Amino acid sequence: MAKKYGMIHDNNLCIGCQACNVACRSENQIPESVYRLQVWVKQEEYPNGGLGYEYHRQSCVQCENTPCVSVCPTHASYKNEDGIVLIDNDLCVGCLYCVAACPYQARYVHPVTKAPDKCTFCHESRLARGEEPACVTVCPTDALIFGDLNDPKSKINKALSERVTYRQKESLGTQPKMFIVPNHKGGIRS
Amino acid sequence: MTQMLSRRGFLKLSSTAAAVASLSSIPGTLGAMEESKKHYKGTTKFTPSICEMCTSSCTIEARVEEGKGMFIRGNPADKGRGGKVCARGSAGFNQLYDPQRLVKPIMRVGERGEGKWKEVSWDEAYTFIAKKLDEIKQKHGAHTVAFTARSGWNKTWFHNLAQAYGSHNLFGHEATCPLAYDLAMDDIFEGGVSRDFAKAKYIINLSHNVFEGIVISYARQYMDALAHGAKVISLDPRFSTMAAKATEWHPIKPGHDLPFVLAFMHTLINDNLYNKKFVEKYCEGFEELKASIAEYTPEKMALECDIPAEVIKRMAHEFAKAAPKALFDFCHRVTLTPQELELRRAIMMCNVLVGAIEQEGGYYLNKSAGFYNKYLGESDAKAPVLKKPKIPAYPKVEVPRIDRIGEKDSEFFLAKKGNGIVTLIPKATLEDLPGVPYRLHGWFIARNNPVMTQANTETVIKALKAMDLVVVYDIQVSDTAWFADIVLPDTTYLERDEEFTASGSKNPSYGVGRQKVVEPIGECRPGWRVAKELAEKMGLGAYFPYQDIEDYRLQQVGDNIDLLAKLKATGMASFGVPLLLQDKKSVAAFVKKYPSAASKVNEEGTIDFPHKIKLFSPKLEAVSKKGALSYEPYKYKEADELYFINGKSAVRTNGHNGNNAWLNNLLDDAAVWIHPKTAERLGIKNGDKIDVYNKYSTQKGKALVTKGVREDTVFAYFGFGHISKELKRAYGKGVNSNSLYSPLVSPNSGMNLHVVGVKVKKA
Repeated sequence: MAKKYGMIHDNNLCIGCQACNVACRSENQIPESVYRLQVWVKQEEYPNGGLGYEYHRQSCVQCENTPCVSVCPTHASYKNEDGIVLIDNDLCVGCLYCVAACPYQARYVHPVTKAPDKCTFCHESRLARGEEPACVTVCPTDALIFGDLNDPKSKINKALSERVTYRQKESLGTQPKMFIVPNHKGGIRS
Repeated sequence: MTQMLSRRGFLKLSSTAAAVASLSSIPGTLGAMEESKKHYKGTTKFTPSICEMCTSSCTIEARVEEGKGMFIRGNPADKGRGGKVCARGSAGFNQLYDPQRLVKPIMRVGERGEGKWKEVSWDEAYTFIAKKLDEIKQKHGAHTVAFTARSGWNKTWFHNLAQAYGSHNLFGHEATCPLAYDLAMDDIFEGGVSRDFAKAKYIINLSHNVFEGIVISYARQYMDALAHGAKVISLDPRFSTMAAKATEWHPIKPGHDLPFVLAFMHTLINDNLYNKKFVEKYCEGFEELKASIAEYTPEKMALECDIPAEVIKRMAHEFAKAAPKALFDFCHRVTLTPQELELRRAIMMCNVLVGAIEQEGGYYLNKSAGFYNKYLGESDAKAPVLKKPKIPAYPKVEVPRIDRIGEKDSEFFLAKKGNGIVTLIPKATLEDLPGVPYRLHGWFIARNNPVMTQANTETVIKALKAMDLVVVYDIQVSDTAWFADIVLPDTTYLERDEEFTASGSKNPSYGVGRQKVVEPIGECRPGWRVAKELAEKMGLGAYFPYQDIEDYRLQQVGDNIDLLAKLKATGMASFGVPLLLQDKKSVAAFVKKYPSAASKVNEEGTIDFPHKIKLFSPKLEAVSKKGALSYEPYKYKEADELYFINGKSAVRTNGHNGNNAWLNNLLDDAAVWIHPKTAERLGIKNGDKIDVYNKYSTQKGKALVTKGVREDTVFAYFGFGHISKELKRAYGKGVNSNSLYSPLVSPNSGMNLHVVGVKVKKA
């Protein structure tokens, strides 16, 4: 059976340390002026008066229903057999429709190739040899869980069955494969 | 398989135009090298090693790939760190190929701090240093040259060089970081102790922000404890990431942690919450301790620390109830009071009082081979002890060290000679210290950056300028190197092999030190080689009886080639099974493995402590009348000033990697945290440019208006406002916190103080 890769970002475990961000840069040679992945840290004041930090993983959420693929006139943007959204630079004409269409602002123009680029779950560099994405590999507090959503025994499915999660902008019907465990301090407890 | 990664390839793939445009032409830097010399060799197989992006020394492994570069991850064999690294660790590759790093020796041609340099050969550099050292020796004595080396490896080489030359003024960075708690544990436990965070049910944390000042194993353990439902209490004037993750956050008044701990201890004793049996059987000095803290009631101390008395008492009760899975974290940098030694001793004693020692979830004694072997029976195999090459006796020095360690009446007697009181160096250069019949005239600094890391920057720079000789060994023209006469290029940790290490947690462990992942770039040389070559130039070669690091390692393991092979292959090794002396299960497992150890087990199925645990220090009493605990109020600031405190960011360290391109891009100018009410009073808005100033310095910064800091306090991350103009990305950006701190050297611990008064105004 084909794989369907997904990821969990647990706000309770994330410390905003940017290890994922730098590991991604290192593994995928991301030029300094752009990024595939950042964690945005925001101080929040909760209704009970308490303070907290919210951690937002700013990166491709690997939609199932993909606006970026739908708008691409040349099929340069595509979803592979494992459900990962990728870009074929040879087919790209640089129209940047995909950059505009992405509701998650996950795509940027690579300053060298001039084609759009984004997180690939390290498909080309790591998954092929059985390694997890760089961000997951280094995360000091195991805030990221990666795996095959089609495998009922996978770590990610186990975690999804135990933790309350949501996905960003679910109302758009994009069906992201990036699941977020909200911060319990904000009042939600699973 | 060996791969080549060309400089050209690297640039194309990495920072492209930006990197090319910023190619540095400072003499001696990588950016100034000819293209043909820039080829790097490495291997696609992961090489286990140790990170050096900060001093936490986390286990890593790294690989190099053709046309790609390098990927660094944690060493998966290290279960404690889970194969993880932080952002700093991941960014090591960027440091390796930084055009601004130094790869040739350079010599000053202008004034100190003017930034005028010329490239010299290693031989010219050694000749210059040897001649200058000899001149100082003839004129003032060799002991007037201080040698500072960053913890661990560099000390082995450069402290050996120092003593062979004739100086006993040896220092590490400790007095700016961990020294007080090291001294406290030596006094109380007669050895090092570690913290079993993961298994604790109740943890009290005083500004120990392990989620930003990341030690991977601590961060994981704290997170584990929280995941298992432990209650974590964060007492921190600022809302740190630790405060955010903790169960409770109490913004304690800066500099007033000791009154809190004393009141907490007062409750443990007066409410009879302490473990009487444990205290009677294993401790001494309880009555003296009890008497000394009798006056520090929660009600009185609450006025000092700004934590309500009932909250202090509640915590003490909860803590005692959770024991032995109770952990009062003795914390790490920052220093919170001039009474650092008392503070760290008091914290540790709280853990002792509830008997949370040598059991899961508390403190445990570090069990190096020597310690562990004591508990083994005669017929059991013993943990290997690493050897050192035999060297001739060092020349005897007739005068005391500047910190007088080694003299009977030295207030710093608890400090090890290899650590020393580095914070005293500026004073010992600029003024006469009592009982020290000389001033310092030279400073040899290996991988330490006192201009950034020691308090009161102005005094440090003044001392550097007053020296006859300043030698700096570093990978870049650090803020300290900026004032040096000669700067020798060190290898980065990815380019060098190091000596093997031995340590102990619950059982003895061994580490490979570091292993080369790529060949050294340019003409940079590792410490073992530089110290040896310089010694040979000075006619002191006999003190370095090894050919190279491989030979040194062979001498360390003796005939234990298995250990050598294991360390090289996996990066680490351990001996035996974990042992917690007061945990029956652990003791049973230990005896099962080592049957002849049964004779050491007491009638309760545990093992007695090797020494009495000291709740009163006869030695401190004799030297400084500080055997018991006391609280001495200290005036940190004037009434119209704010407290200024600092802390570590997750993406840089204090002195070393602020100029790393990847890390600098994440946070290049850290803002100063200021409470909305204070900001309003001062007419400051979020993002405003501000001056933070006091009698020591005026620092330019920008304001971050946030409720995450007390109204009477401002906070800044440290490691900003770099001074060396050769650190082009980090130079002058952000508030340099050490510039604002006083030059205080705390009694008995020698620590700097990281609380001071400042004023803030809109710039």
